[in-house]
Order: sequence, then structure tokens, then C-alpha cells
Amino acid sequence: MAFPRRTTSSRARHPIRSLVASVLALGSGASAVAAAGPSSASTPVTVTFLTHYAPPQVAMLQAAATAFHKAHPGISVSFHAVPFGNLLSTLTTQGPSAGWTVANIYDLWLPELVQSGLAAAAPANVTKAVRTNWPANLVTDVTKGGAVRGIPNEVDLYALNYNKALFAKAGIASPPKNWTQLVADANKLTNKSAGVQGFGVITSWAAGVVHPWLSLVDSNGGSLLTGTKPNLTNPRVEAVTKLYAQLVKSGATVASMSTANANTTGPYLDNFAAGKTAMIIMANWWEADLKAAMGSHFSDVGVAPIPVGPSGTKSSSVSYSWLTMVNSKASPAQQAAGWQFLQWLNSPSSGKNGSSAMGDVLMSMGILPSRLSDVAAHKAQLSDPFLRVYVAELKNASPFPTVLGGEQMTDTIQTALESVIFGRSSASAAMSSAQSQVSSILKQANG
Amino acid sequence: MMAASVESLGAPSRPAAPVRTGRWGGHPTHLAQQRRWGALMLSPTLLILGLFTFVPIVLTFWISLHAWNMLTPITKMSWVGLSNYTNLFHDPTFRSSLLVTLVYVVIVVGITVPLSILVGMLLYFPRVRGKGVARTVLFTTYVIPTIAVAMVWGALYAPSYGPLAQMFHAVGLGQPTFLSSPSSALASLAAFNIWQMLGYYTVLVVAGLTQIPGDLYEAARVDGAGFVRQAMSITLPLLRRTTVFVVLIGVINAVQVFDPVYVLTQGGPITSTTVISYDIQRTAFTYGLAGEASAMAFSLLVLLVAVAVVILAFMRSR
Amino acid sequence: MMSPRWRTRVSRWLVRAAIGVVILVPLFPVYWMVISSLKRPADLLSVPPTWFPHDPTFAAYRTVFQVIPFARSFLNSFLIAGTATLSVLLTSIMAGYVFGKYHFKGRDALFWAIVATMFMPPIVTLVPLYWMVQHTGISNAYVRVLLPWLANAFGVFLMRQFMMDVPDELIDAARVDGASEGRIVFRVVAPLLWPAILTLGVFAFVYYWNNFLWPLTILQSASQYPVVLALAQLLSYNTTVQYQNVVMAGALIGSLPTIVVFLLAQRVFVQGIARSGVKG
Repeated sequence: MAFPRRTTSSRARHPIRSLVASVLALGSGASAVAAAGPSSASTPVTVTFLTHYAPPQVAMLQAAATAFHKAHPGISVSFHAVPFGNLLSTLTTQGPSAGWTVANIYDLWLPELVQSGLAAAAPANVTKAVRTNWPANLVTDVTKGGAVRGIPNEVDLYALNYNKALFAKAGIASPPKNWTQLVADANKLTNKSAGVQGFGVITSWAAGVVHPWLSLVDSNGGSLLTGTKPNLTNPRVEAVTKLYAQLVKSGATVASMSTANANTTGPYLDNFAAGKTAMIIMANWWEADLKAAMGSHFSDVGVAPIPVGPSGTKSSSVSYSWLTMVNSKASPAQQAAGWQFLQWLNSPSSGKNGSSAMGDVLMSMGILPSRLSDVAAHKAQLSDPFLRVYVAELKNASPFPTVLGGEQMTDTIQTALESVIFGRSSASAAMSSAQSQVSSILKQANG
Repeated sequence: MMAASVESLGAPSRPAAPVRTGRWGGHPTHLAQQRRWGALMLSPTLLILGLFTFVPIVLTFWISLHAWNMLTPITKMSWVGLSNYTNLFHDPTFRSSLLVTLVYVVIVVGITVPLSILVGMLLYFPRVRGKGVARTVLFTTYVIPTIAVAMVWGALYAPSYGPLAQMFHAVGLGQPTFLSSPSSALASLAAFNIWQMLGYYTVLVVAGLTQIPGDLYEAARVDGAGFVRQAMSITLPLLRRTTVFVVLIGVINAVQVFDPVYVLTQGGPITSTTVISYDIQRTAFTYGLAGEASAMAFSLLVLLVAVAVVILAFMRSR
Repeated sequence: MMSPRWRTRVSRWLVRAAIGVVILVPLFPVYWMVISSLKRPADLLSVPPTWFPHDPTFAAYRTVFQVIPFARSFLNSFLIAGTATLSVLLTSIMAGYVFGKYHFKGRDALFWAIVATMFMPPIVTLVPLYWMVQHTGISNAYVRVLLPWLANAFGVFLMRQFMMDVPDELIDAARVDGASEGRIVFRVVAPLLWPAILTLGVFAFVYYWNNFLWPLTILQSASQYPVVLALAQLLSYNTTVQYQNVVMAGALIGSLPTIVVFLLAQRVFVQGIARSGVKG
């Protein structure tokens, strides 16, 4: 092995030194910009946009950013996409060092991000725009610690999706309206030899497990929390877990067909798309994925409100929303540029036919936009047979509680429900163990 | 953990020359100079390992006595004493992730070690062609990034459009669940770790086999011992050092498993693949509970040290 | 009872079959990776799966360079793994020499304390290490990743084992000739140990190229990502099975460098093992 001689000439050393310097400069990348501090308007600013969107949506956002850059040559936006399952840990590990400037986040995470000082308060003009152009419940949702923390975009809720072809084959005329019908239909639709399950559930993805379950809870007159105290052992809540146990026991729900991957798609989706799952409770956003996977068979998909439970009076779904926020650890120039880009992205000037560019991105996936003018601009698509039911149910939806410790709470309930779905635990045992764990999680997080 | 080659362990160690002896050692100026050189050559290693291994161990313990979410400055963390540890004691998730890790280690080591000895013997003793190719091909799996391996196995394990499901179906084994069921997910992760590591352990075993003198087998053959008896009375006893080494490396490697869980299963279904590394990483960086995560990490360290002490005592006593 | 000759023939075929299995089993996932990367979306969706791509296309390879900064991540990986490997070799050779050939108080205790850290899972120190590097004030991504990777306990262990086999007479003779200790290590001893050094170099390169958890924790943007993180990012393109050709193409390209390094070094690798058997 060669060892550098001491007699290296200064001329020979120079290029090496400059090579080292340039290599080091390469490693600095975006963070060098972040370290530069306040910069004048003429200094170019790079805004890093962290998201979990799939390539087609990232491409649409990129196109919008290019258009924005033309009008504002000083600001360029680069996109950083990670799978949903890795989004929160990316947010927290890269947040304090300003690895990202703006991020599209799930509203459940906002309390923690505000508490730790990572979520910047919106400037006055953005606050005003949000208050005027969004429905009141979403303004409340993004207002934490006395300030608006971001711009809401998607709203999601759940409904019963069912396969009309399988229903016709089983001789069932209409989708179930209550749990008695749900159980009867599920058993009738199940066809072991053809590998068809009557009622599908989702596992391996926290919200995918908990939200449909909680939608059934809501439709049974129950609720997840009272303040920061869980109600998991309440009979109206436990009834849903018992319903799951019953469906699993009768074979109408097949646990191994329920897996989701880190992108919150995967086998559970493939099974429904392939006509192996007759009914499943899912959110509106999977419309685009269903269309891609089913092609012409997409017309077999029917949508109905969540079946009402014996103690409930009306159908009600869980709803949740997403918002784009700005990192308070980014440089002032980046923060300003970030808000400027976000405001433009969510305004009618960026999209087509009166919609915002963000609204167009969302509608490309079948996701409901929340800005009032976006809802108006996409009226036609929002009344298609698939989305129509979701839009109609929006008024009955109850938001998923956003509390400190919410992520850990959701994971804990997920574990309990999966242990019932996979037959490892009885419904009441799972719920009472989850009750005590969630109590202590929320007590610890909320002081 | 970096991997090792077996000759390092089997290398005959001779006593190092004492510095003060020999023709040269007497000169005090040389001695002082040599001491300076020694300090100089050792200092980079000590500095790096001290700063980035030993200091963090102490810090892990210190943080474990506090409540801290990592997003606020470390000076603002609040003292909670041992309560993170008492909470862990009652935490079913922590207990389950220790157990899951233990099961994973037992599956991986329990299958890989005997299998690598068998394959090592297959690739050393018989005089047939293809042995060299087999060794190279086997070892190649070891150098492929675990992430890439996980991605490929994720595709192999896919339900209906995956090749393994198709193979199972073709031979009448029905619909395998692989990563979709709590009873098979951990074993499925173990299977591809075995696939990835087998070649490396086999190379170690082959290197160990070359150290066994051939005339021992000659003598055994003269005595009429068959292959099985030769293996039991010569190969396995003389391969003991290598075997111990392979077990050690295997345990170290398996205890650390993280990458495939992170990209493939996220710890599920239920908690069947929530191994300790994933649990700690999630607690610290997803839930923002650095104090609790540090208590978990430090408990893990204490547990591993205890196990090591027991093993060492056991080996000494023999 | 079968005749001995027949028995040898049967066992010979059994051995051949076994070796065939030993070759095919490792290759199958690699084969699947290759054909999946060449398939078209419609092929990927088919149930049962197709075992050959009907109409192979390299489109996925083009896509993979478009959707993530793949070329840049290669550069990152080469710089990070290359620098770490060189630094580990340098520090391990020096420390191994001191531990193998010097006598001083506490030497063995120090040595075994270093070796003991090999057994500690990296997750144990991840939180403080993240905090420490975050607060060094260093913003350069390579420096941030590399800091804890500049020395390695296993490297020290391996080099010390080999140093102990170097005859003392050789070192003493060099000292009598007036060579400095630095010269002795790098000019007299290291050349004798080059198969061992190369072996350590290959192991180090593979280890640092493939390391996932630490860069995942400390790096901040996609432009800083090494190949393994870029690959994990590719998984977000895996929303439906139709994108699997892109994922597989990425996995294949990302695996090539370590495979090539191993195959190139393999001869010396084997030679090194052979030599260590002869020497002494």
C-alpha cells in the first residue's frame, strides 16, 4: 500500500486540496443554504418540500413548482418523497437541522410539532387567507397554540366499498345498512373455494386498522376519547371489536388477506381490486389506486355509507385532514419563500379552471380538497358515483381526535385490533389491555 | 457489525517482543521516541472510538433518566429518575420486542450454523467440479445491500403474483401467508437473513476445514471409519473454534436486525416483527420519547453484557 | 446390498445435485430481480406471475434515474464508503501494530474494551450520537456521516491478530537500521500483510456501503443520500405492483458496486486465506 511521501511538491498538493474542498462543498448541499441565514431577495432560495405522494402526484407538484419558479426566479422548490410509513420519523430526524422547509403532514402529528416548536406560525396574510377560504372546522384543526400553523389541503373520510358483481352473484340487491345485514351479507358473499372473503379489514398500517374500526364505533354511537381519556372498554366501542371477532370466526373475514405495505397499499388493495374481497371500509383517496389496478372493472365498485350499529342512530365516519406546514428551524428567507409557495400552490391562481394546483393534485387521486373554491371548481368530478357518497357523508363525519401522543395511541389500538383479527386475543381482553396502555400514554403525553 | 475472516481467530499468537529487550531496546532516547510514536499511532483510534462509542454509552444512560423529545434542546430535558425503567418493566411492548428478537436470533443462528457447516463440508471434501463457482455465488449474496435484498424478497413474498406463492400453490401447499400473518412473518424475515448470510458463514467454515490436517482423515479411513464417523470424531471437534466464532458473529448480526423491518413490515402484523432495534428507533424518532428509548437501549446493553458474562463463565468452566 | 461402485456413483450424483442446489438457491432471487426489472407493467400484474418477460424493455432503468437522484447517490456512496474504508485501514493498521507489538500498562484491558464494543448493537448509542453530531455545528453531510466511521473496533482486532504474527526480528532489524516507527509500520510490516489489509478493506467497503440506519438518522436531504437510502426512497414508488420494475432495476444497480468489488478482490481474498495457512 502506498503511503504519501513527505516530499509532495506544493504544486501537486494544490489540486488535491481543491479537490477535497470541492468534495466537501458537494456534501453540504441544501444544508449550506439553510446555514446561510437571512438573505436578501436577490439571493436564490431553495425550498425543500417533504411529502409522501406517489410519482404521478410528485410530477404534478414539480410542474407547479416550475411554473412558480418562472414567476419568482429567486425561489426554487425541490421535492423529497418518502413512503407514508417513514414520513413521521423523517419529519422529526430532519426537522431540527432544517433538512426540509415545508412538509405535507397528517393533522394528528400537529400537536407534537407545535409543542416542540417545529411548526412555524403562519404570517398574517396566510392566516387571513386560511380563515376566509376554508371551512371553519378545518381552520380550527390547523390552529394550535393561538396561531394558524399551516394550510389545509386534503380531507378524507370512510365509506363501505363493495363489489357489485359479487353482490349480484350472491343475489344481494343492496348494500347493508346495519350490522345485522352486514354480518348476513358477509357470510353469504364468502366463498372459500373461490378465495373470496365477505368483509375485508386492513392490517399493518395504523390508520388503516383504526379508522375503519372507529367509523363503525362512531356509527354505533360511541367515541374514542372523552377529553384525553380513552373509552375503549365502553360497550358501544367494544361492540365493534366483537363484530370483528365474530366475522373472523365465521370465516367471512380472512386475516391473511388484510396486509398493507409501507405505502399503505399492497395485498388488501389487490384483493379488493381482484374481486377477492366483497366489502371493505376504506377512504376516498384510494380511488386512483383502484382505477389503476382494476381498469374497466372499476365500474363494479359500489359505495355506501358505513352500516349503522345496534346502539347507533345514524351512519358516521371518521374524518382526518392533511396540511402543509413550514419548518421554524429553516432560515427566515426559506420560511418566507416556503409560505409564499404554499399560499400560491393552494390558491386559484396556480391551478386550472378556478382550482388551486393542490386541488388538482388531490383530485387526480380522488381525494377531496377542502378549500371552498376548489370544491366548487371540481363539482363535476365530486359528483361522480364513487365520490358522491363520500361528499354527502362529509357532514356526518367526526374528526379523528388530534391529541399529544396520538400516534402512539393509534399504534397501540392497532396492535390490540390486529391481535383480535388474527385470533390471538378475545375482543374484551384486547380492549381492556389497550385501555390501560392508552390511558398511560395520554396521561404521560398530556401531563 | 463488520464481518470477520476466520484466520484472525485461528491465527497462532506468539508472545510479542518485550520492548526493553534485544539489541535495540536499551537506548533511553529511542525508548522515549518509541513511546511517542506509540501514542501517536494509537490516538486516532482511541479518539474516535472514545468520542463516538464510549461517550454515547454514558450519554444513553444519562438521557434514560430524563424525559426528552429530542426536538427541544438537551439542556431542557427534565429529570425523572428511574421512572423510565419502572415504566419499561410494565410495558408489554418492550417485553414482546425482546422476545421477538430472541426468537429471531434463535431461528437464524439455529438454522444457519448447522447449515453452513453442512454446506462447508459439501464444498470442501468431495472432488467434483462447480465447488469454486458455488462458493463465489454463495458469498455474493452477503455483499448485496440488505435493503436491496429486502426489496427483492418483498417481491418474492407477494401474495398471488409472487413466484413463491405460485410455487407453493403448484406443489399443493395452498396459499402461504409469508409476511401477512403473525405466525409466519418473523420466520419469513429470518429466511431471507439466512439466505443472505449463509455464504459468508460457509466461507468461514471452509477456511476452518483447511486447518484440519488431512492425515487425521487418512488414519481414520485406515481404521474403517465412514463419513459420518469422521465428521463426528474429527471434523466437528476440530471445527469448534470456527463454530464458536460463527455463532458469535451470527448472534451479533441477528440482534441488530432493523433494515428489513423498517422497509417491509413496520413491525407487524400485531407485534410479530417488532424487534428491539425497530422498537427503540420508533420510540425515539417517531414518538419523540428519547428518554424511554434510551432506557430501552441501556436495558438492552445490560442484558447483552449479562448474557456475555454467563457465556464466558460457562466457557471458562469447561 | 448395492455394489460399492454403484454406491459411489449414486453418492457422486447426490453431491452434484446438492452443489447445484447450493448454486441455484442464491441465484433465484437475483434472477427474479433481473426479469422483474425488464417486465412491462401488464406483465407485472399478471396472476400467476410470468417466469420470463414477454417483451423485455429497459424503460425501468431510464425511469429509475429520473425519479430519484440515483447518479448523485452513487457518488455519495463512493465518497462515504471509500473514505471510511481508507480511514479504517489507516487507523486499524497503526492501532493493531501498537496493540500487537508494544508493551505498556493496561494494554490488554484497553484492547479488550475496544473489542467488546463490537458486540454492542448500534441502536444502543443512536440517540446520543444523533444529538452529538447534530450539535457539532458541522453542516457537511459527508463529515456528519463519517465522524463515527473513521475507526472501527473490528479492524483494530483483525490487524492486531495479524501484527502478532510478524516476526520481531524483522522489526528489530529495521530499528537497528534507524527506521522510524512510522516507516516500520507502513514500509516494512504493512507490505507483508497486504492480503489481510485487502480483506479488511473489502469487508469495510461492503459494510459501509450497505449501512442503512446511521445515514438514515443523520442525513437531511435526498441529494445527500447514499445508494441504500435512495433505494428505500424508491419504495415509495411501489404503491402498486406496476412500478415494481423500477424498484427492481434500482435494487439491481445499487447492488452492483459491492458485487464487483468482491469479485475483483476475490482472488486475493482466497490467496490471503491460503497464504495465512502457509505462513508461520
